[in-house]
Amino acid sequence: MSALTFELKGKPDQRLDLSPLTPAKLKDLKAKEIESLAVGTTRMKLTVGDAFNVKGNGAGSLRFVGTDGRCDKIGAGLTEGEIVVEGDSGAYLGASMKGGKIEVKGSSGVLAGASMSGGTIVIDGDAGERAAGIAVGETLGMRGGQLTIKGNAGPLLGERIRRGFVIVGGNAGDYAGGRMVAGTILFKRGVGRYAGFGLRRGSLIFVEAPKELLPTFCDCGVMEFDYLRLLDRWLRSTGEHVGLGLGDRARRFMGDMAALGKGEMLVIA
Amino acid sequence: MSELKLKGVNVVDTFAEAFPMVGTRIIITAPTLEWALIAARTMTGFATSVIAAGAEAGIERTLSPDETLDGRPGVAVLIFTMDTNKLQIQLRNRVGQCVLTSPGSACFAGLEGEKKLKLGASLRFFGDGWQMSKKIGGRRFWRIPVMDGEFVCEATTGLTKKAVGGGNLLVLGKSHAAVLSACERAVRAIDAVPEVITPFPGGIVRSGSKVGSKYKGQIASTNDAYCPTLKAAVKTALPLDVEAVLEIVIDGLTKESIAKAMHAGMHAIADGGAEQGITHITAGNYGGNLGPHHFHLKEIIA
Repeated sequence: MSALTFELKGKPDQRLDLSPLTPAKLKDLKAKEIESLAVGTTRMKLTVGDAFNVKGNGAGSLRFVGTDGRCDKIGAGLTEGEIVVEGDSGAYLGASMKGGKIEVKGSSGVLAGASMSGGTIVIDGDAGERAAGIAVGETLGMRGGQLTIKGNAGPLLGERIRRGFVIVGGNAGDYAGGRMVAGTILFKRGVGRYAGFGLRRGSLIFVEAPKELLPTFCDCGVMEFDYLRLLDRWLRSTGEHVGLGLGDRARRFMGDMAALGKGEMLVIA
Repeated sequence: MSELKLKGVNVVDTFAEAFPMVGTRIIITAPTLEWALIAARTMTGFATSVIAAGAEAGIERTLSPDETLDGRPGVAVLIFTMDTNKLQIQLRNRVGQCVLTSPGSACFAGLEGEKKLKLGASLRFFGDGWQMSKKIGGRRFWRIPVMDGEFVCEATTGLTKKAVGGGNLLVLGKSHAAVLSACERAVRAIDAVPEVITPFPGGIVRSGSKVGSKYKGQIASTNDAYCPTLKAAVKTALPLDVEAVLEIVIDGLTKESIAKAMHAGMHAIADGGAEQGITHITAGNYGGNLGPHHFHLKEIIA
């Protein structure tokens, strides 16, 4: 089955809201109806047909080609199916999504995977600030699913995560895992300042030791964690993280003692 | 007794009568296989018969590090009871007292199923608020702080209501040594069959029982028809030259697995059995009215 492809005609003169373009919303629509969907965000009316060349069929799998950082809300509220973005994505990529899979070959703007509760997002490039953070009108960040950022992540990554799993391949910005309620973030590289600020529960796992540690995180020493073995084997089984080598020993810091203090940082030893 | 023979050993034309049970499988891992086995043996100790042991449990097989979730050596344990509530209580108590306590152990679900039994979901309270829940690949695990680090335990395990208990073989022979040796062979053969366990000591039971007793309140009593010392006094099932009878009881996750185990066991008993002095292979039943599963020996050996 070929994917339904949306090829951006040229640089749009306004930001686009692409949340109407999900497999669940498109499955019962005819080609004409899809082309007439409104995707503009200003008083200037803009439809799918104005902005994109639409090709192919089969709404179960969507492909966006040539998109840029003004293409917001790709896969927002996604419940099923697959979206591949051959280009960059704007803000709110996969925000509040509940299921399905999104792959972005480029980078994404702010609030990627904000308040998502299921499904997976893989971003090959960088993610803007507040990835897996709090969508507007929500009180919590990510509540489930998985977000993989292969490049760098901006500040406030995973703010107030409640559940779910985030992996950052590159460097993460300041306040990573800020005010986390629970959940897990795995950092393969460095983080900025104030990681785990206000952490209540949840795990921040560092392959490289962070340069600065908040003074409200307290050392438990180095020990073995069967949990790391489980995580390592599962990551290997997904095929995307071969050679990561978490091992089974880590230094455990508990904190943030200025908040609930039942969270942890595991620094791979 | 019948004409059917397997390598010179008479196979009595009868059937083993078995009962529906509920069962589950859990996987125990540890730093070494020896420690996984210690935890598993402890957990499945005193789990011979539901009559008074609460559950019937045993080690199904050992697992290589490649086969377990955490990449450590492991052991698959099967546990059976007559109903779901009892299974839940037995599982909680046995894992809580025998696996949680065992050095370096971890415990995972070994069976999928729509119905779930609580595993870590009840043991987590041992953590006194310091326990952490982690979801990995859609499965929930509890990390419970203990004195040697953390006890990692999956939240739930699957449950099957299609389990079968009480598949059995009775081995008759001219000497105790011959019968014991034949039964040992059978237990080894059954060990290789997946989805089954032999819950009695070493897989073998010497005190086969009948339902009821002359004493009030005694629900099971000795199977006098198979007691060699009583041949002269009761309606015996034994020829005069039979000195000893031993029984192998088999519990399994499916009735097909019980049939396979009985097949393997019968052939192992017959292998060299006649020369040793094994005279008959038969099976225990209650006339066919109590248990829905009937394993006819002549069909099993085919």
